[in-house]
Amino acid sequence: MDKSEIKSAVESMLFIWGDSLDIKDIVEILEVEKKRVEEAVDALILDYENQDRGIVLKKFGESYQLKTKDKNYKYVSTLYKPNTHRGLSDAAMETLSIIAYKQPITKIEIEQIRGIKSSYIINALKDKGLIEVVDRLDKPGNPMLYGTSMDFLSYFGLKSIDELPKLPYDKDFDILDEKDEKNE
Amino acid sequence: MEYVVNLNKFQGPFDLLFQLIEDNEIDIYDIPISEVTQQYLGYLDQMVEYNMDLTSEFILMASTLIEIKSKMLLPSFKEKDEEDPRDNLVNRLLEYKLFKEVSEDFKDKERAELKFIPKPKEEIEYDEKLNEQVLFEEINVYDLMNSINSLLKRRKLEINRESPTFKFREDHYSVNKCIKIVKNILKEKNKVNLIDVFKIDFNKGFIIAIFLSILELSREKNVKILQDNLFGEIYLMSV
Repeated sequence: MDKSEIKSAVESMLFIWGDSLDIKDIVEILEVEKKRVEEAVDALILDYENQDRGIVLKKFGESYQLKTKDKNYKYVSTLYKPNTHRGLSDAAMETLSIIAYKQPITKIEIEQIRGIKSSYIINALKDKGLIEVVDRLDKPGNPMLYGTSMDFLSYFGLKSIDELPKLPYDKDFDILDEKDEKNE
Repeated sequence: MEYVVNLNKFQGPFDLLFQLIEDNEIDIYDIPISEVTQQYLGYLDQMVEYNMDLTSEFILMASTLIEIKSKMLLPSFKEKDEEDPRDNLVNRLLEYKLFKEVSEDFKDKERAELKFIPKPKEEIEYDEKLNEQVLFEEINVYDLMNSINSLLKRRKLEINRESPTFKFREDHYSVNKCIKIVKNILKEKNKVNLIDVFKIDFNKGFIIAIFLSILELSREKNVKILQDNLFGEIYLMSV
């Protein structure tokens, strides 16, 4: 398969699949090297951008997905209103941002930072697929450790978790980690 | 200082404390603990008055504030670089503030990304077992109606709209009679094609009576109506 054939095949697959498609699956289906798929998809992403199309090819983590372009939102939304339209609540966003930056993190640690019980919100975020249990802490009770999921990246339009902006730490505010150790 | 009662729903004690600090333009590194404690307690009183849920976290914070206040009132005889009793609280407040700000960034990102809409995933899996189930999914009355219409057409029994006159005849088949017929057929065979039932007598009155009797049987849950696919053959099954 040459590059244009891979591009064409990937485009077709993403169109029919709708959901995000993992690069592993594409590699398996097309039986070509991962690197060649990546090259072809990157080229396809550029095609969409350069030709000023109504579709964008989004990349996050190891997945790809076709979406309608943001500038056409007001037209698209007259036809189709996704049910996640309203976005997350302040409390959910707060909890999610703590998890995103401090993952893997236990429920207790989240609650310590927020100063309030957060079980309900953590479960809601889990149901929404934005976070997942990534591991269990090797401590009494083996509490669950939470981390962000692939859907989290997609939800915020991040290519990878490294794209999270750096925390705006204050200069004289470096006590955080020391304090964590004390609490344990 | 006076406290302003704002019935916003606070996320927790930090949220409330933070609001107090912001509203009073207090330097977070030098919190006038006595005034803040007073305001905080005042707010809790208001919450009680308005019958709001006062969770234990709010009360814990109140006791923490009072503890810090009392520690600060005690004269210190120790060295000057002794830990300020407020330090722990300030650190936690700063950490909370940090994530509160970060979550605003997340909100912006979310808002931007929600404008890119993906197509919802469709059911495109093909599974033998799955198909088997679909085969016997129950169908609705309209499928039945379409079946009748196509049958009437096939037999050219459509009402002639050009001359809307009718001859009235005695019904040879009543619905009750047809219910018996259908029941008898189903006694012999567990599953029967609807067309085969109609084949007994291609008389319009009979077809209508059978149609009504099947609806009646279905309503009484004596008969199941099945269709293997859209516009496909319709089968009757005894329940």
